[in-house]
Amino acid sequence: MSVDWAALVPYLPDLARGFAVTVALTFGGAACALFMAIGLVLATSAGGPAIRRSVRIYTEIILGLPILVLLYLIYFVLPQLGLRIGEVAAGILTLTLYYAPYMAEAIRGAIASVPAGQVDAARMIGLNPVQIFIRILLPQTLGLLIPPLTGILIGLAKDTAILSVISVHELAYATKRVVSRTYTPFEVWALVAGLYWLALSALEVLMRRLEGRVTRFRASGASA
Amino acid sequence: MFDVDILRESIPVIASAALVTIQLTVAAAAVSLTVGTLSAVLQVAGGRAGYWLSRAYVSLMRGTPLFVQLLVVFFALPLLGLRSQAFFAAVLAIGLNSGAYVTEILRAAILAVPRGQVEAAVTIGIGRLAVWRRIVLPQAAITSLPMLAAELTIVLKSTPLASVISVTEMTYAGVLIQARAFSAIEVFVPIAAGYILLAQVIARIARMLERRFEPLRG
Repeated sequence: MSVDWAALVPYLPDLARGFAVTVALTFGGAACALFMAIGLVLATSAGGPAIRRSVRIYTEIILGLPILVLLYLIYFVLPQLGLRIGEVAAGILTLTLYYAPYMAEAIRGAIASVPAGQVDAARMIGLNPVQIFIRILLPQTLGLLIPPLTGILIGLAKDTAILSVISVHELAYATKRVVSRTYTPFEVWALVAGLYWLALSALEVLMRRLEGRVTRFRASGASA
Repeated sequence: MFDVDILRESIPVIASAALVTIQLTVAAAAVSLTVGTLSAVLQVAGGRAGYWLSRAYVSLMRGTPLFVQLLVVFFALPLLGLRSQAFFAAVLAIGLNSGAYVTEILRAAILAVPRGQVEAAVTIGIGRLAVWRRIVLPQAAITSLPMLAAELTIVLKSTPLASVISVTEMTYAGVLIQARAFSAIEVFVPIAAGYILLAQVIARIARMLERRFEPLRG
């Protein structure tokens, strides 16, 4: 087992470019998914039975569907139905449609955990609905939301690698191109695995810091 | 737009590839359960070295994409002197990946078994191994049944990734048919339905097992 790491140095800029695209896809995809998730939560809490039913069926389908199959449905089947779509758009759309139901579930769980009595009490002391949302609900749900959302965000970040199969030029795609020139697949893939690990570990630490910031009121609180 | 002839031709191919998907799922789940159980026990009762070994394994598996793990395992096999066999590499990679999540599930369930039971068992002279095998692990397995079933569904949903190393499971079979027939809708719609159906089967079996073991839950 001879590993020639020095041979990889000339390809580091290619990998760095791919990494930048992976980061952009992760945050772009997560933002779109979060936006859609909020829509799904609103639709189930405020929509009629027909809307609620469609959201449930959609969620049920996503829970049983592999993300790669969803990607192929979007990238190969949509054009057949007359909807031309580029690789990057297909990738973002896949991440959005796949991760929105998981995020919606996390949001629903966090909102449900705030006792209804708090809202009543806030109204009693004269806070208006906007104040109640910003000062009572948001600070508490944010702390509860960040741990599950971190897990989902990391899952989404890892799944961006799958988009390489439709030639989105992210890190895994860049890696494949490097392998095709160096003929050292194990070394290159192991190096890239290390890169993903570092980036995802950093993301996790960052999210934990954020969680610490939004839950600092708890330390001085009377209970829990 | 929807060509029934293509559908008629692709259904038998997809059905036989579905068998490969099922084999992959079952084999990877077996690897996952075995490695996950060992790793969970190591983390709880393996001393400092065991704890850190298990933590490192979990962190590596959860901190890198399965897509990349598949390729690392696939290309590592020849370096270890083994023949690079795609199906074997896929089972190993998917199983090791899922094993990290099983570690976390079982670790929590093991810690939930009251310590008094273990102390009582040791007091009446039951051996260390027997305590694990007959007292701790069975209870941990029953409490974590719903989560283990969810993990099995995730394993099923991971198997299409084996297509990147050319394992002809259901999704890769679809890609091959699609490339020949120049049409995707008749191929990927039934494949999507196939996965949803298999996921439903897993959910049914899980509910059946949960009902069966309900009287034993603490």
